[in-house]
Amino acid sequence: MASFKSYLVKRIILALIVLYFVVTITFILSHVVPSDPAELYVGPKATKEQRERAVIELGLDKPLYIQYLNYIFGLFKGDLGVSLRAHTPVLHDILAYLPATLEIVIIANIIALFVGILFGTFSALKKDHLEDHLIRFVSVGGVSIPSFWFALLMQLIFFGVLGILPLDGRVSTETQLFNPIKVITGFYTLDALLNLNFPAFIDCLRHLILPAFVLATYPIGLVTRMVRSMMVEVLNENYIRFAKANGFKENLIYYKYALRNALTPALMALGLSFAYSITGAFLVEVIFSWPGLGTYTVNAILENDYPSILGVTIVGTTFYVGVNLLLDIFQAYIDPRVRLK
Amino acid sequence: MSYRLFYKKALSRKVGLVGIAVIIIAIVLATMLFPQQSQPKVKSSVVYAYVSDFPTLDPSIAFEDEQVILANVYETLVFYNSSNPSSPLVPWLATSWSYSPDGLVWTFSLRKGVIFHDGTPFNAEAVKFSIERTKRMGLGAAYIWDPVKEIQVVDDYTVKFILQYPAPLAQIASSQYGAWIFSPKIPSNDTDATEWFNQGKDAGTGAFTIESYEAGFQIVLKKFDKYWKGWNGNHIEKVLIKTVRDPTARLQAIKAGEADFTVDLPVDYLPELKNNPNVKVLAIPSYRNLLGMINTKRSPTDNVLVRQALAYAFPYDAVVKSVMQNYAVQSVGPIPQGMLGYFEDMEHYNYNLTKAKELLAKAGYPNGGFTIILTYTSGDQLEKQVAELYKAELEKLNINLDIREMTTKAKYSMARGDPAQAQHILLFYWWPTYVTPYDFLYSLFHSEEKVIFNFAYYYNSTYDDLIDTASKLEGTDLNKALELYRKAQEQVIRDCTALFIIDMDTIMVINSKVHNFKPNSAYTEVVFFYDIWVEA
Repeated sequence: MASFKSYLVKRIILALIVLYFVVTITFILSHVVPSDPAELYVGPKATKEQRERAVIELGLDKPLYIQYLNYIFGLFKGDLGVSLRAHTPVLHDILAYLPATLEIVIIANIIALFVGILFGTFSALKKDHLEDHLIRFVSVGGVSIPSFWFALLMQLIFFGVLGILPLDGRVSTETQLFNPIKVITGFYTLDALLNLNFPAFIDCLRHLILPAFVLATYPIGLVTRMVRSMMVEVLNENYIRFAKANGFKENLIYYKYALRNALTPALMALGLSFAYSITGAFLVEVIFSWPGLGTYTVNAILENDYPSILGVTIVGTTFYVGVNLLLDIFQAYIDPRVRLK
Repeated sequence: MSYRLFYKKALSRKVGLVGIAVIIIAIVLATMLFPQQSQPKVKSSVVYAYVSDFPTLDPSIAFEDEQVILANVYETLVFYNSSNPSSPLVPWLATSWSYSPDGLVWTFSLRKGVIFHDGTPFNAEAVKFSIERTKRMGLGAAYIWDPVKEIQVVDDYTVKFILQYPAPLAQIASSQYGAWIFSPKIPSNDTDATEWFNQGKDAGTGAFTIESYEAGFQIVLKKFDKYWKGWNGNHIEKVLIKTVRDPTARLQAIKAGEADFTVDLPVDYLPELKNNPNVKVLAIPSYRNLLGMINTKRSPTDNVLVRQALAYAFPYDAVVKSVMQNYAVQSVGPIPQGMLGYFEDMEHYNYNLTKAKELLAKAGYPNGGFTIILTYTSGDQLEKQVAELYKAELEKLNINLDIREMTTKAKYSMARGDPAQAQHILLFYWWPTYVTPYDFLYSLFHSEEKVIFNFAYYYNSTYDDLIDTASKLEGTDLNKALELYRKAQEQVIRDCTALFIIDMDTIMVINSKVHNFKPNSAYTEVVFFYDIWVEA
């Protein structure tokens, strides 16, 4: 196990280095872009005294390297600075917007996991048949269709033509006004259940379907393709042929011996796509007026609210690096070949 | 079939029939006994589809569009009734006020029996606390309290303001930014309190309190049962204000009846809506105008004759009629129509190319032959159309208008650099923080050490004296102050320091079943939900 430990230490150090560089590069980029944070902080009609005070409060009078050091030290205390526009701690804002994003992203990835495995396995078993071709067509489509276009198309069909699903938002006006959900976790579906408010739960689910499905298209394609190619490979292995020759039941062979081997890479891919969606879902969020982190980021960028931009970048990177690290460790743990390389 | 089974079945059928009959009778009775419940005449809730989100809910900081919410949740000492310009100031949380002859001491008597949403009684301490917090934080519109040196609590219902220089304090106290009164029971640390407000908590005395808030998307207000005006008569109980950025979506919402109020629709949509019996289109003077500041420090616009020629060459009518479809009027001077300090009869420039040619010849440019740089904010369709119409007119004088689309930041940093390198004409909008001519006349044309908004680079000590004196008199001798404000405006019109283009209307589209909606120019795009009621 000694080699596993040293592998673990190596990977964690590497992850920290990546994080450090991302913070530094983003900090420098956001400070060399010409902008006037003090003006944004005090508003367009402020007096000279207000501006001067803001410069001191924001520490803008100090040289850049001091500002940088202050920022880094702040990070260790969990302080991501104060939003220039809302004057609230950035970390607080991010935590407020995060559950909405996590809600659709988690559901999208669960959909992707089940649908992807099902499609992938089925496709591999029916290799070169019509079913296989169809599924391959769908999965290539899933990874290549632009999400915003697909989102609009889904809105057009399910809201515009069929009128069976809501256009956007997290809950309907009626629920919001007359049957409000008491927020506990920020995950509305979960909160509605905890409130024992079932009509609101149904309402939330109806609002979740389209954005979650649109977000799931990419990972569905990804998982399907991964599982299919791994399955095809595994099904040609000697041990499978041996099992068949020994008269094992087909389903047992496929789902217990073959699929298990084919699953790990698909899970890895899904993990990364999950981490990416935390901030990468913004196109879908904007179209569905979904109050998540993506929307928050877009607003921060449009307003040039650099503490917020930095904060989102750091949180997004941490998520991505963290998930990546966990996946690597997990893989190294179950597959000794990885850590020996 | 055995007898017993048959009997059982028949019995259960009988019970079923009786049950159904009972239910039907109950329903019929219920509808007869409570007819008003199934058919209410008054709607209990309204939806306002607003154009942008609200950066903060902290009443001390709010300086963008938050008054749309805050004016229903909080109150100020004095209310500004824009529909009665001759005496617009009426009691709100203060019942009366008086000032010393020198205008340096203002005393407000406060309303009794008012309580904050958290149950704390409203009193002089709360007034002192609120204004001192706003002043101390120094953010948003805090500077309106700059004249205030000290706030003294005389007794529970009397509060005294000591000023360091005379100022119209009653007007300041009616401001839609930075003048809201809130409970002293908010978190004591200023930044903690900001965070507390932004979670959707409130501490006002207004008719409504915040029920839920989803930052960036929507807010629900519900009526405050113990509101001091009481709830007799027809009222709304709940309000949903939601952010709908896309104008087409706002149009759809108001047409489909999903929203009862909306604002800021492009004028192209309005003819269609005017013929729709389900909605009403309201044009409300906005105290907001579009101006083109003219650089007085760069050739050739450093010559007053050239500036006047440029003002005569501007197609005011075309902008009002074809671009704004009459939802605006031509400006007379820096102060917009209907506002304190607006004088309809002041002399001003009208479109007249012959006069423009004469003036150019006098200035030494009989055949034009120069270039004027004009900047406008990228993405602003109105400014863009105005610039293009103007270009066509100037071409007739053989003047080349170099139109540059720039971000706000780029536009301002060009204007705040060396005036000799800055744009000749800068298009932008202005509106007052609280209703006073001084806001326009000071910010736009008063001498400045470092350029903030005086993009004309106009430095005239006579003008500065006029408006500074007027501002000090505004609280105590309004007529004299207005006279001086008029003189000052005539001065800048003569010196032609800006193109005074149009005074704009706020366009609101409302459900035609809404009754008693009183738009108020002093509270931009605000619906006072307490006043209205809606037919079901």
